[in-house]
Amino acid sequence: MGNRNIKKYIVNSAVFFLGLFLILMLYITYLQTIDSDELANNSLNRRSAQMDDHIARGLIVDDKGRKLAYSEKTASGFSRKYPLGEIAAPVTGYVGKNLGNAGIEAYANADLLGKTGDLHKIGPLAQLFTADQGNTVKLTIDASIQKAAYDALGNRRGAVVVLDSSTGAVLAMVSRPSFNPNSLEQDWNTLQNSPDSVLLNRATQGLYPPGSTIKPMIADASLKENVTNTDEIFNCPGYLDVGNYHLVDSHGEVHGKVNLKEALTESCNVTFGTLALRLGASNLENTFDRFGFKKSLDNELSEANIQLPDFHHLNDGEISQVGIGQSTVLVTPLRMAMLASVFANQGVMMKPYLIDQILSPNNIIIKKSHVEKWLEVTSAQRAQLIKSYMENVVQHGTGTEAAVSGIVIAGKTGTAENSGGADHAWFMGSADLPKRTIAFSIIIENSGFGGTEAAPIARKVITNILDTEEGSP
Amino acid sequence: MFSIRQRLSLLPGLLLLFGVWILDLKQYPHIDIVPYFWILAIIAASVTIDIVLRKYAPDADPYIFPLAMLFVSVGLIMIDRLKPILFIPQMRWVLIGLAVFILVIRYGKNIHRLVQYQYMVGLFCLATLCSTLLLGTDIGGHQAWIIIGPFQVQPSEFAKLLIILFLSAYLTDHKNVLSLPSNRVLFLRLPPLRFIAPLVVIWGISVLMFIVQRDLGSALLFFGIAVFITYMATGNKSYVFLAGIFFSVAGTMTYFLFAHVRVRIAIWLHPWADPTGQAYQIVQSLFAFGSGGLLGSGFDHGYPGLIPEVHTDFIFSAIGEELGLLGALAVISAYLLLFYRGFHIALQCRNEMRMLLAAGLSISLALQVFIILAGITKLLPLTGITLPFLSYGGSSMVSSFIILGLLFVLSKKENSNG
Repeated sequence: MGNRNIKKYIVNSAVFFLGLFLILMLYITYLQTIDSDELANNSLNRRSAQMDDHIARGLIVDDKGRKLAYSEKTASGFSRKYPLGEIAAPVTGYVGKNLGNAGIEAYANADLLGKTGDLHKIGPLAQLFTADQGNTVKLTIDASIQKAAYDALGNRRGAVVVLDSSTGAVLAMVSRPSFNPNSLEQDWNTLQNSPDSVLLNRATQGLYPPGSTIKPMIADASLKENVTNTDEIFNCPGYLDVGNYHLVDSHGEVHGKVNLKEALTESCNVTFGTLALRLGASNLENTFDRFGFKKSLDNELSEANIQLPDFHHLNDGEISQVGIGQSTVLVTPLRMAMLASVFANQGVMMKPYLIDQILSPNNIIIKKSHVEKWLEVTSAQRAQLIKSYMENVVQHGTGTEAAVSGIVIAGKTGTAENSGGADHAWFMGSADLPKRTIAFSIIIENSGFGGTEAAPIARKVITNILDTEEGSP
Repeated sequence: MFSIRQRLSLLPGLLLLFGVWILDLKQYPHIDIVPYFWILAIIAASVTIDIVLRKYAPDADPYIFPLAMLFVSVGLIMIDRLKPILFIPQMRWVLIGLAVFILVIRYGKNIHRLVQYQYMVGLFCLATLCSTLLLGTDIGGHQAWIIIGPFQVQPSEFAKLLIILFLSAYLTDHKNVLSLPSNRVLFLRLPPLRFIAPLVVIWGISVLMFIVQRDLGSALLFFGIAVFITYMATGNKSYVFLAGIFFSVAGTMTYFLFAHVRVRIAIWLHPWADPTGQAYQIVQSLFAFGSGGLLGSGFDHGYPGLIPEVHTDFIFSAIGEELGLLGALAVISAYLLLFYRGFHIALQCRNEMRMLLAAGLSISLALQVFIILAGITKLLPLTGITLPFLSYGGSSMVSSFIILGLLFVLSKKENSNG
């Protein structure tokens, strides 16, 4: 009978459809599980951006709770405000709806939006964890030091970094010229094409030859490797011939007979060129490694990679140049402040950090940075010795412009030759203040001599800290 | 007092009510009370229909109507969430659909007698298809609409029904001729050409639908329905083979002849080549599924509004995003239950015409669901076609309720004079 056959064919067709739907269900399962993350995080997927528009971004505050960035409700959503504007722009960065975020706004984006981890996996439960108000990011920055450093730089191109040498907390991070994050979207085209690279945070992203500010490190290495001692007398005729390289002292100075302390105080190129030659390529490379120049920070400071030469392919002339911070060594201002902190902190380099705490909107601490000993660079005695030499620089040597009466200040000037134009002026060092010991570095691009250009800025910053900290208990 | 089944049949109504409450909580205190009258009307109508049907047709299938109402409820809350302005119009269409459902049950019990009028049905079917080809208005990129006064009718939704009716009648009548191996062409067993002519005409019209109206969804649906009903009636795989050849040749020809076909295939194969242009819709749909993940973003917490036309063809993408894989699989499973009941009804029939008709209707639902779901997930090229009972649209809602009504009628024990 035909009926039975028709039934068979109907069952066949039904089974065929069952197969089709099984394939479809497997495929949708694939889309929503294995392929899910890739699709959800695709840059063309505007969902997370739309979600963010409904959240009031959290505050960015300084170490005393002063606002560096906050969100203001407007008719069309939220608008981001930066009370310090250009002063703190290199620290805060900006929120760019169309440009992407930068600085802390980029690094701590998830915290500022109140997101904890990848929420889309927990489905509707995520609604419980999605706040209307993001978390507060509390920085180590001290707004008054930041402002003092910014003002001290004046209209010159350069950077200032101030660290607490015993914790690594970044107290100030200034870069000039700066930009106004409040009107970034409007100014974007001008800023992007500005010849002064205003969007570059020179403090962590600018790369400069360290010049003579590297000499305290060479002194430490020379004593450690016993290529000299504190008593050896060097004779400086004002020049050093290494092969066909003719190394000279700046301004044609002749230092005559000097020991290590006097050589550092007067920043004698001949002595340090000689010491670099005695140390040799391997020892120099190990020293840069020991002081952390080969390690990246990998944290919220987003530091540029330090450039070091390939030591074993350097000729003697180039090795002597490394001893005075030239050759192809390129460092960030942050690194030189870190170097200064070693001698102020018994030979230990603390890991610099910028984010102190993440706080919930009702001020409960969600995350807290712990102070981290990064490197044990050198012995406490040798650190103390080099520091005393650096104090001598400020008392009697090239760095007298940094001196503040009643305060122990150690420092080292630098005048870095660079292919791009006039010399960069450097000053790095530390100051034992009543409440804490700070380490700092200052660079002023193409301005000339470190002792006269950069050292006075250190004095202004230190004086300002003393004034404000005496004023507030 | 009430059986478990009866109590479960209240679930769709509660789903609708709770869904709308959730949406209203977000609007609080600005709540529009008017939709609640419509909601109560739908709940009252569906509960009454359920009780009356159980009382006067106790032997008929008790599951298909509550299942359909489940889809209707899911569709309504999604439309309220996606396009609130279309919420009341869609509820109006549901009520019209319910009325049509009752009419089909009331007057459709002798549907198998259509065998006698098969050619009239065939002509009517042809006329409907031709009217779309000739009079179609261009809405949304393809001409699948006819505007009659204030109404926009999508005739393909009804042509689908007529094709099923005609083919099940025609094939019941000519089954014996068609399954007799009279002509042997290679390894194919084919009856005289005049018997298979109506099939070829339907296949041809399907291809024309695609070429003239760019309506790939309907074309695939008609073609598939014709192939499956023919196979079920005759069991002759030669038809399936022939259809396959016909489909391949027609597909290849249109690919080389028409640019829009090539574009559609290119979008399907390489959506990421132009994700913000021509492949925008499908890419947005994939983002919705991916962002939903296993559990979904939660009802009303996703961003399905990023998909253009999400309330019609892409309503399932919104379900995938907000209700997640679990919600998506739940909806598909419910459809599978409906198809299962449809095939079950077909297998219970004793009259061949009724058997073929029930199977054909089930196939048409299953095929339509598969085509649109495969399209919006990029398993197959995207086609504009509605998801039965869920998508926004009057023609789709009414034709889906006609199918449901016919299935219900066919599930009743037929009179011995069939």
